[in-house]
Amino acid sequence: MAEDLRTERKGRILAVRDLPTLPKVLEEVSKLVERPDSTTEQVAKLISMDQVLSAKVLKMVNSPVYGFPGRISSIGHALVLLGFNVLRSIIVSTSVFEVMSENMVGLWEHSLGAAMASGAVARMVKLKDAEEYAVAGLLHDLGKVVATVQLPDLKPEIERVVAERDCFYLEAEREVLGFGHDRINAWLADHWKLPANIKEGLSYHHKPHLAQLYPEMACVVHLGDFLVRSFEYGFSGDVGVTYLQPEALKILKIRPADFENLLDELSGQLVELADLRFT
Amino acid sequence: MVSDALCAFTRTQKILVLSPDPTLARLFDAAFTPAEAEVTIQCQGRYAVETLFTDPPDMLVVDAALADMPGPTLVTMVKSENVYRQLPVALIMDEAALGPDIDWCAVEVDELLTRPLTSAMLRARVTLALARATRSLDANPLTKLPGNTSIIGRIQDLIDRRQDFALAYADLDYFKSFNDKYGFSRGDEVLMMTARIIVNTVRAVGGPTAFVGHVGGDDFVFILDIDRVEEACRTVVASFDGIVPHFYDADDRDRGFIQSVDREGNRRSFPLMAISIAVVFNRDGRLKHFGEASQTAMTLKKKAKENPKSCYVLDKRQG
Repeated sequence: MAEDLRTERKGRILAVRDLPTLPKVLEEVSKLVERPDSTTEQVAKLISMDQVLSAKVLKMVNSPVYGFPGRISSIGHALVLLGFNVLRSIIVSTSVFEVMSENMVGLWEHSLGAAMASGAVARMVKLKDAEEYAVAGLLHDLGKVVATVQLPDLKPEIERVVAERDCFYLEAEREVLGFGHDRINAWLADHWKLPANIKEGLSYHHKPHLAQLYPEMACVVHLGDFLVRSFEYGFSGDVGVTYLQPEALKILKIRPADFENLLDELSGQLVELADLRFT
Repeated sequence: MVSDALCAFTRTQKILVLSPDPTLARLFDAAFTPAEAEVTIQCQGRYAVETLFTDPPDMLVVDAALADMPGPTLVTMVKSENVYRQLPVALIMDEAALGPDIDWCAVEVDELLTRPLTSAMLRARVTLALARATRSLDANPLTKLPGNTSIIGRIQDLIDRRQDFALAYADLDYFKSFNDKYGFSRGDEVLMMTARIIVNTVRAVGGPTAFVGHVGGDDFVFILDIDRVEEACRTVVASFDGIVPHFYDADDRDRGFIQSVDREGNRRSFPLMAISIAVVFNRDGRLKHFGEASQTAMTLKKKAKENPKSCYVLDKRQG
């Protein structure tokens, strides 16, 4: 791929202004924020179900305007620091998917499932601040959404390559775009000054063993992504299940017996999640 | 026209005008009543400098074409002295003289008045410049929150009106050792974070007396209705304790303390930062003066500081 084409596409990706989200989620959050008795925890819980709103909130709180870039990786903390006023303006500035393609709903479900699975893994291996792992799980495919919005003409091309070659979505992205969503995630994380742990989770979830600073974060998101695919919850863009890096289990010190417990716990939670309808 | 004083100002504003232009006096007379502004007009810059330094006005208006020196030179003389940096200065010029070659960033003026002048425009521009100066004068440069003058004014005003209120003084424990170890820019991040937590909490808990000020450094003040202050304190403490670990490096955070140097120069370990809040109440016009409130708060704060964890202490004598 020619370097200037790659640079031009990176520029278009980073020029993203508005990421659309599901009408129902936006409506629920707006309602909650307008109620005088709503608590930050309630709003944070709801926002944590939507990758676009979560990304916007984290981008805002980590912007240099507030004076602590790269520090906040929890939605709850972000809301405490931003206040409901700023949150209202975030809601106003978010548009909705008028016509929700089935794939986008599938990706939304996949992200939500990955958030839940990543949080469960982090809790099981007793990592501090499990919520931050859930946030990274939620946002791990953000690059796919941004690419779809900013380079819409290339999306059908990627899907065609996936279908024709029977390859993974990531490989097709690399062939068509010149880079995968993992790379887009890294750009966005830098551009939005997201904390380093979130950045590593987003940009190394396909190759967790290469993460340098926060290997646990990358491994947890990798595993979360793998698990939600195994349960066939949502649609990531791939029909099959990606390869599970054995190093990830080693780094997280997960034994086969733990793994079974995790699967049991997750299947219960995913059934509950499946009852949630936001479309 | 307002009869006694300009809206935002409680007393007559002193305005010094330096210009050889004889028509200016008439324009200022038409723009302001004597109760609003006391306007002195001088045509020589040289003589004005002494007055300016010994009895500074609330605002200085300088003609670019002074008889004895260029207006901007005089402005630079005044503004290079740090005590007068905040003095709002307006420059008068002919509109025709506005060229692209003027380096506006180098001229330290706060407002520009161009001829032809009208008294209505004069009134508007001068009042705006005065109001702007009052606002920016007292804001904390880091958090942009109101500073001491506004805080004292606010408290004294509530006392004078015999209104019930709760006054909370908050500061951070072990902030200095954090600053010493990580540097002042990381310290500033913590202050910004603290300011956001307090402002959002006070705004959410609300009430007619809700107000937040930044005394300076790690000292903050907030005012709330008496029945709401405890909820605010609880929320501030919980939010601060949840968020502050994220401002430490991962290894220090895991250890739960940092190694730094104390006031005597000895290396020792310090716990993670905590927030201490002391709350004073004014009920039934009990307080007569701002000083009483701050003194009681300081005594209470010592009590709050005895606890190394984040906490708040309420003034029981009035509770």
